[in-house]
Amino acid sequence: MVKKKSSRYVILVLIILASFVSVFPFLWMVSTSFMSEDVIFALPVRIFPNKLFKAGMWDNYKTVISKYSFGLYTWNSFVISFLAALGQIFVCPMASFAFAKMRFRGRRWIYALLLMTLMIPVQVIIIPEYYLMMKLGWINSFLPLIVPSFLSGALGTFMFISVFEAIPSAMFDAAVIDGASAYKILWRVYFPQATASVATLFIIAFMNNWNDLLRPLLYLNKARLYTVTIGLTRFQSEYTSSWALLLTASVLSILPLIIVYIFCQRYIIENQMSAGVKG
Amino acid sequence: MAQKQKYKWHSWATPWILLFPTLVGLFVFRLIPIVSSFVLSFSDWNLIRDPVFNGFQNYRELFSDPDFWKIFGNTLKITLGYVAGSMVFGLLLALLVNNKIKGMNFFRAAIYMPVITSSVAVGIVWLRILGPKYGIVDFILKKIGVTAPYWLQDTNLALWTVTFVQVWKMAGYYMILFLAGLQSINKDVLEASVVDGATPVQRLFRVTLPMLSPTTFFVFTVAIMDAFKNFELIYAMTKGGPQNATNTLVYSVYVNAFSYFRVGYAETIAWVLMAVVGGLTIVNFYVKKYWAQPLD
Amino acid sequence: MKKLFVILIIALVAFSAFATGEKEASSEQITLEWWTWDATMADTNNAIIAAYEAEHPNVKINNTIITTDGGAYATQLAIMAQQKNLPDVFTISSGNLEDWAEIGYLRDLDDLIAKDKNIFNMFYKGMFDAVKEVAKTDYYCAIPFAYVSCDLFYNKDMFDAAGLEYPNENWTWDDFLKAAKALTIDKNGDGEIDQWGYYGYGRYAEVQAWVIANNGTLINDKMRFAPDAKALEAFHFFTDLVIKYEVAPMPKDMSAMKYNNLFPNEVCAMFVDGGWQVNDFRTKIGDKFRWGVTRVPNGPSATETWTFGWPDSYVLSPTTKYPDQAWDFAKYVAGAGISADQVMGGKLSAYKAIVESPEFVDMTQQPYGDMELFREHANDKFVTTYTKSWSEWVGYGASETMGLNGAIDSILNKEATFDEAMAKAKDGINKILSRVYP
Repeated sequence: MVKKKSSRYVILVLIILASFVSVFPFLWMVSTSFMSEDVIFALPVRIFPNKLFKAGMWDNYKTVISKYSFGLYTWNSFVISFLAALGQIFVCPMASFAFAKMRFRGRRWIYALLLMTLMIPVQVIIIPEYYLMMKLGWINSFLPLIVPSFLSGALGTFMFISVFEAIPSAMFDAAVIDGASAYKILWRVYFPQATASVATLFIIAFMNNWNDLLRPLLYLNKARLYTVTIGLTRFQSEYTSSWALLLTASVLSILPLIIVYIFCQRYIIENQMSAGVKG
Repeated sequence: MAQKQKYKWHSWATPWILLFPTLVGLFVFRLIPIVSSFVLSFSDWNLIRDPVFNGFQNYRELFSDPDFWKIFGNTLKITLGYVAGSMVFGLLLALLVNNKIKGMNFFRAAIYMPVITSSVAVGIVWLRILGPKYGIVDFILKKIGVTAPYWLQDTNLALWTVTFVQVWKMAGYYMILFLAGLQSINKDVLEASVVDGATPVQRLFRVTLPMLSPTTFFVFTVAIMDAFKNFELIYAMTKGGPQNATNTLVYSVYVNAFSYFRVGYAETIAWVLMAVVGGLTIVNFYVKKYWAQPLD
Repeated sequence: MKKLFVILIIALVAFSAFATGEKEASSEQITLEWWTWDATMADTNNAIIAAYEAEHPNVKINNTIITTDGGAYATQLAIMAQQKNLPDVFTISSGNLEDWAEIGYLRDLDDLIAKDKNIFNMFYKGMFDAVKEVAKTDYYCAIPFAYVSCDLFYNKDMFDAAGLEYPNENWTWDDFLKAAKALTIDKNGDGEIDQWGYYGYGRYAEVQAWVIANNGTLINDKMRFAPDAKALEAFHFFTDLVIKYEVAPMPKDMSAMKYNNLFPNEVCAMFVDGGWQVNDFRTKIGDKFRWGVTRVPNGPSATETWTFGWPDSYVLSPTTKYPDQAWDFAKYVAGAGISADQVMGGKLSAYKAIVESPEFVDMTQQPYGDMELFREHANDKFVTTYTKSWSEWVGYGASETMGLNGAIDSILNKEATFDEAMAKAKDGINKILSRVYP
């Protein structure tokens, strides 16, 4: 914690600077969502939107939600991302606990294989994966988008291993002496220590699934299943684009992510003051 | 006091039960496609016919293509710039943001914004900022009498510009990874060091960073892997140009698979990519024991 | 209480994930699958379907629209083809016709056409034949539904201000150059050109328009890249516009704007691109200035008037269970059942009645009477350069900075000399062509 006032000011200034640098494209997107099509790319570059506070201010938003079904797409994306992330926050600590604390045959090999999946860009495996899903009959459902993420997560597992490693062994020893089972140690001692990681993993898993374009594009052909990312491609075609609507939809597609982020932040602030070593 | 005997606190089955979902997910949904993609790298396949096995022909074609070495070099350069930038800025931001200042939630969200903004939007914005003649940067530099370089159109500069934008976009991501690690550092040790009279700087280097090293290792490893996955931003900003200046291995995989429909050849490039990132990761793990706590 | 709420949310979400609720079609009905790629036409498609289903109560049409972004459309279709499960009627781009026809994924339409006595009274036979040429088949395999041509757009206000006559069908390349020079102006005297006579963005639509306007050919009959003298003359002409005569800017200087925004933003007086820009320009320009469209002028070595243009086509699945109904619907949606306002402005339908209808030349919108040009195109000789792996050697989509496009970029951006760039391009292109045409 920083005590001196002057260093607090320096920190604040740096943070404000970093925030502004990070946020200005989003501000531009919001501004563009209140412009009409012919104004967006006109020269000189307009910063102040032409429809703000005038009639038809929310036109772009209305069009995107009703005509382009963005309400439905948002719900679909939410279902997929929520379930996938939910699976992750339970499955990954389980696996990490086994890797970090237990000895068993093939441990290094399985760990290496899991790590390998993290290295692979989706473009490499998407086509064989598509054939697999086709054989399972899962095309045109949410299953290919939820099940693999629900069951395993290389990033999450890896992340929890680092966190679990940093937990002092004194805590572990104490729990063992108390006669706790492995599951109790995991869920009652280790998991609560890693709340920040749980929240972080949820944010990341949710975001990765939310922003995935390639998989939904190939697996979902029925309009009522479309996700937000597919929806965003519908504003452009081979020959035309509607930039105003595209950027408006982009703004809408980011909002749920911000909400999830802010909701999870509460768990990241809370300091692990409790669960100290007994005695 | 030392209870060094092997106290069996779990049954032999416990690790397998804990790992069961992961194993199913891994072997069914990840490894099957991965192995298939490797096998496909030895075939010629345009999707509409069946794959035709052709041995090492793809690999031979790839290594004799002069463009390949340029793409390979680009990939390594981006990796270097991206990992360095993300680690430095990610850590700095996390340290800044790990303070109880009012409204910190808002700032954390603001810094995270580029991470969740789509690459398409990020690309459009930066193209307008860095664009020659009509871009904002150009406009400002002209006022002070400096001619701006062609940030994205110069064959020597484009790659670093793209790397810069990529770091800008993802710094917030590494920030929250570091933050999670900072938050789980045991507070007792930190408080003890304050009691001992350590200055903030001493605390940072003697206590915080060493205790953070497992997380740092984790972030470093992840950053290396992410450096190879920059397809979306390149597609949004430069499409691999000009003259392959921003073409990387993953972009080339995509182009060959989804533009040219040479899926077999695309997988060949993909597995070269895997070999490189795999090699770097293995080296990383071996070096780990010199600076981070070991897994064992 | 909170726990119950959380569980409820999870249950609701999980339920949504797995509920599919498909309605069973009645046994009398047949369902046709119709796949297209243009999401901006979704409403139009639904209107067409409603009209068709009203006339044919036992037929239900399912329209699936997949974007071409990232090759998603072509990839899915290719996988379906390999699984022998193609949609009954689907859109195909000209670049894929040869490949698909060769393997047999396009249903032979000759039998359906033979049964249909009226077909070439309704549709332009010339367009059907042109598509056959692109597919390199001796049978009809595709119904063209939208022909696009590449034409010259010009800013009438700028021409007026410079006291010049508008471009017309008799223009030569010299006329073009003279006008471009007069229209390249430094308006505010700061040493930088603000208005350019022309903008060439170097993509195939513009480049090949010039080559074909000079009757040049790029691919010889051994299927290798070998631009003939006429083609080279064309290449020199439009690259000289940038590097020698400086009546057009380097593309890299204009990269802050999307290439098709220069003309609407009044940065250039003339622009060559596909007819589909009509629609886009109508939205972007509105009434800001007056503009027109005419043919790309014939080059000095041209002996005939060739038009660079190509169709998007509807094809039938070779394994369709309902060939007659699919054929009927394909004709309907390719022209028989639609009206002129459902055809995107600047595109040319293959259906005679649409092209000859008064609405085709929409006098309520720019470019007003210039739309007659597209009616004239209906009887033109369309020339294309399609081959297998076309997008690979030309450079298109994700690969648009590579291939022939990349070579031309390097010339226009003064990064390589003309000869260097063309030699490198030739090597690269022939490597690709010799792979698909051994």
